[in-house]
Amino acid sequence: MSDSKLMACLKHWQVALMLILVVASVIAIAPRFEDGKFTTNLQYGLDLQEGTWLQMEFKAEIVGFETDQSPDVFVSNLKKQLDAEMYIIEDGKLEIRSYFPKETLEAAFTSSGGKLTSYEQGVSKETADDVKRILETKLNALGTKDARVNPLTSLSGVTHYIRVELAGVSLAQAKEIVGKQGKFEIRIHTTDNQTEHVLYGDRITTVGVPSHEPPGSTTWGVSFTLDEEGARLFQEGAIATGATTNPEAHFLDMVLDGDVVYSAPLSGELAASLENEPIRQLYASTGIGPAGLEAAKNLEIHLRAGALPVDVSVAGSGYVPAELSDYFKLMCAIAFIAAAIAVGAVIYYRYREPSIVLPMIGTNLSEIVILLGIATLIQQLDLAGIAALIAVMGTGIDQMVIITDEVLHEGKVPSPTLYKKRLVRALGIIVVSALTVIIAMIPLALMDLSSLRGFAIITILGVAIGVAVTRPAYGEVIKEILSK
Amino acid sequence: MGFSGYDVNKYSPRQMVMIPLIILIISVAILGYNMATIGMPVRPGIDFSGGTAVTLFSTDTPEQLKAAFPGYPLLSIGEGVNNGKYIRFGPMDDASLQSLATLITSEYPDAKIDQIGASFGQTLQQQALIALIISFIGMTVVVFLAFRSFVPAGAVILSAFADITMTAAAMSVVGIELSLPTTAALLMLIGYSVDSDILLTMRVLKRQGKLDEKLSGAFKTGIIMTTTTIAAVAAMWVVTFAAQITVIWEIATVLLIGLVIDLMNTWLTNAGIIKWYVLKRGGK
Repeated sequence: MSDSKLMACLKHWQVALMLILVVASVIAIAPRFEDGKFTTNLQYGLDLQEGTWLQMEFKAEIVGFETDQSPDVFVSNLKKQLDAEMYIIEDGKLEIRSYFPKETLEAAFTSSGGKLTSYEQGVSKETADDVKRILETKLNALGTKDARVNPLTSLSGVTHYIRVELAGVSLAQAKEIVGKQGKFEIRIHTTDNQTEHVLYGDRITTVGVPSHEPPGSTTWGVSFTLDEEGARLFQEGAIATGATTNPEAHFLDMVLDGDVVYSAPLSGELAASLENEPIRQLYASTGIGPAGLEAAKNLEIHLRAGALPVDVSVAGSGYVPAELSDYFKLMCAIAFIAAAIAVGAVIYYRYREPSIVLPMIGTNLSEIVILLGIATLIQQLDLAGIAALIAVMGTGIDQMVIITDEVLHEGKVPSPTLYKKRLVRALGIIVVSALTVIIAMIPLALMDLSSLRGFAIITILGVAIGVAVTRPAYGEVIKEILSK
Repeated sequence: MGFSGYDVNKYSPRQMVMIPLIILIISVAILGYNMATIGMPVRPGIDFSGGTAVTLFSTDTPEQLKAAFPGYPLLSIGEGVNNGKYIRFGPMDDASLQSLATLITSEYPDAKIDQIGASFGQTLQQQALIALIISFIGMTVVVFLAFRSFVPAGAVILSAFADITMTAAAMSVVGIELSLPTTAALLMLIGYSVDSDILLTMRVLKRQGKLDEKLSGAFKTGIIMTTTTIAAVAAMWVVTFAAQITVIWEIATVLLIGLVIDLMNTWLTNAGIIKWYVLKRGGK
């Protein structure tokens, strides 16, 4: 190709845009050698990186209910009957934090004076976010270098599953980490900054969600309940250290795995009651406004000592060892190169004209580079994603064949007006077929069927980039190259 | 090229649609038989039925492997090239799974483990079905909007439907299981399928000229499109077969079968219907 033709190509904004995106993508991917190893900014999913995934199912359900009584009365009846923790999350919607089959709930609702109107296993988005925070806190505390926690929320807003991905951790290890609880302890200050042990976290029977105390005030806090032995230990400790007579001098500390997570004096009221009797129902206030709420949420997590507010069971899990993931990466690269060569060979066989074949392959590879560049920002690559990448290469070439064949007649480039008409017609075919591919993949991208989401997102991105950027650019390039 | 011997203008519409129609009927029968006997159109893999799959490279024989996991519900051991082994276990409880995972990690540290609970498999199955239905409906809407005419749009949709049905039947004959990756491949086929169909329909209906010329022109372009895609997928198939990358290999196999079937459905089914449609309207 002569320099003047090259310049002519570059003058078209479509071509310039494509080249700018390619350069930007190469910068984003940043291929480089670090410590003698080839690395890039591409993020790999668990197939291509050692690690474990765990998909956990919430043993809870979101149900709709109707009742003639006041909802609070109804729920408290229900609580007694089912002996389970439950919260009204919105009007007529209840989150029950234990697993009950639908039939059991129907019967229980009827005998509590109401009716079950809907049933879906899972938890509310808020609860799922709490679980996510708890798991993340736990994983961070253990120094797990690369952990992802994703609640999978359905379109109806109910979260049935939560997925945890841990790089560099074996399956058995991962299950242990997720199930592991911290060591929670309450201590009371004696003198000179010394503290004395009062009780451990196993004495805590229930932990509430952040609430106002007294109800209607602006102060946030978390209520929790001790068992009888715990309440006795708490009373003894408070009296022995002198906290009941002089609370301000004897702060109460909550300690999780050796770190003080909460420190405050007993309220005057509580101190007075403790003089006379053990108290099981306690409340720790954390302050007012958003900061108080934030602190209350953290305190709730700490009080649970890493235990989740809702029981979960492992629904699915998997592990890829390091050797295998490195091998997969290498083989994917080989598969990709082989596919590119195969496509090139077929195109060459058909057109026998380097000035058509080279731009076609060049545009195709640019498309893949741009796709990878965007992927560094939003999507990790896994095996299904690589398959999508190769499939996108196939559709890309397909569509350039459509353009080439629509535009050229007997290998000649028509007049500019006719050319334009034909290019528009070719792009019409391409847009319709691209739309169908995108539409076909949207359900997979939205539904989050584990690994298939990556497949769908890569495909949609690839097709979109093709239609928006690289195909129009190819149309201009082929015109400039072939025109006399 | 292998298909260049076929002349798209040689046969009457009735002759053209005959072969695909017979294959479609056989395919529906196969899927129906599967539905009646195993409750799914294609035998489900662990993604949908639940269970545990272990991929490892070892020179141990299947008997040795069987002996290495006593007391676990081992279902089958598949062997590939390069000493690759693919072991499947039935559903088991959390505690057994935990001990199995520990055992595998200590005996075969390079093993890949995947486990899906039975109820999770059920959920995935339902969602995959919903995805397939929504995709198909979405495709139908786009195609109808593009052509705004019943017969041409119907022909494209029928071809896509035939592609998926025949490919699913072929999967069942060849012994490929329905899993998340193969479901994705089937969905991908919807996209590939309409590609050449739309080209064909647009060329025949929206261009000036003789029907014969338009058909052979579309055929020439369409064949090169599908063969390039087949070339890319075949290369992916060969490498991943040799390298034992099951996920990509399964996707590649389904795409490969589907693309060959799509050649038939585009140039026999769809071309036959569109030819009949044009002739009926008095075109030449």
